[in-house]
Amino acid sequence: MLDELKQHVRDLLAGDVAFVVAYGESADGRTAPVLAREPADADGLVWNDRCYFNLTRYLTDRDVMGDGEAKIGIVVKGCDLKTLNVLLSEKQVKRENLAVVAVRCEGMKDADGNLLAKCETCTVADPDPSFCDRVIGPVPQREPREDDYKDVDEIEAMSPAERLAYWSAEFDRCLRCDACRNICPLCYCRECLASQHDPRWIPASSSIAGNRLFHIVRAFHLAGRCTNCGECERVCPAGIPITTLMRKMGSVVRDDFGFEPGATPDQRPPLVSFAHNDPDPEEVKAP
Amino acid sequence: MKKKLKIVGFLCNWCSYAGADLAGVNRLQYGHEIRIVRVPCSGRVNPMLILKCFQEGADGVLVAGCHPGDCHYQEGNYYARRRMHVLRELLDFVGIDRRRFHVRWVSASEGAKWADVVNGTIEDVRAACKEAPDSALSLRGAAGATDA
Repeated sequence: MLDELKQHVRDLLAGDVAFVVAYGESADGRTAPVLAREPADADGLVWNDRCYFNLTRYLTDRDVMGDGEAKIGIVVKGCDLKTLNVLLSEKQVKRENLAVVAVRCEGMKDADGNLLAKCETCTVADPDPSFCDRVIGPVPQREPREDDYKDVDEIEAMSPAERLAYWSAEFDRCLRCDACRNICPLCYCRECLASQHDPRWIPASSSIAGNRLFHIVRAFHLAGRCTNCGECERVCPAGIPITTLMRKMGSVVRDDFGFEPGATPDQRPPLVSFAHNDPDPEEVKAP
Repeated sequence: MKKKLKIVGFLCNWCSYAGADLAGVNRLQYGHEIRIVRVPCSGRVNPMLILKCFQEGADGVLVAGCHPGDCHYQEGNYYARRRMHVLRELLDFVGIDRRRFHVRWVSASEGAKWADVVNGTIEDVRAACKEAPDSALSLRGAAGATDA
């Protein structure tokens, strides 16, 4: 399987592809994102259960992409393909400039060898071939567990005061290091609203109200876009359960607008569209 | 010292602002805790404006626009409706009392409704302040009202 991947990347690089974003090894032997530029670079590629990085992050990175006109290749998992679909629907990348190499995936594991939460409920382990140019690897045998949104329900079961206390304790630890924003493939704004000086919407330094505001704004900006790759939570040095916030937003757009982010590459994001029978903001459950 | 409730109202120019004007022309009485900001359309109301109000110490925010289907710009309030719905759900999820933030539709002929909407909002915000004086978003410390 890995040989097939290497050979395909080699072929791409021998052709008209400038570089391929893929998984390789860092100097200390860990799995890390790499850019393969020469056909020989394909020899160093890896595929294992530590390839959790969502490489579509690099597609909007100007340092990597330059003017974005070169044809490049990218290795994606089924979940990353959803993010790519969002980037395509938001016209951030040109599909004709991409060689999308999808890898069938048995799930990624954390440092302790546990399957990632998102992988337990993954329904895209076998990527949709209509969204990519090549699918590699054996068909996964794992049966996904149905996502019960238990993490979201647990918080919703709390009283408003308990919810406030819960999130205050979480946001209180936030260092405002911006790791969540910087790793996010969909936080591609050239100037983030949270970094703007004039107007200064969100205070730059860490404060409980400011941190709360930052996370509210980030969740809002990703509502209906976030595909729950979980990279934000993985890189958070303070261990803030950011994905719970994102999953709540995901459940709102799914339940109320019938929208699944990243399902196709040509759908309009839900917050820049509407339906005549949308729910009224006041109709929802009373406190 | 007693501090008055402060509620910021974002009113669309074409319906709700005219409705509020009608309430005034008809000498209808309603609470003075609301400060009105006229906006071209409820679709203009960036959620950041709402959050900014809370940051600066507002106790509540009311967004009012034309009834869905009646937008002067055909569809501005449809966008607002979705956005505000998501924002309301989000604020509720992080524990900010949803009674502090309301979205209502008031037409230019609904002066009486406007007065009711304002009074209802003030009641709700006051009740929320009674439970927790601070909106939890204020950057000015616990700036919540104490007259609740």
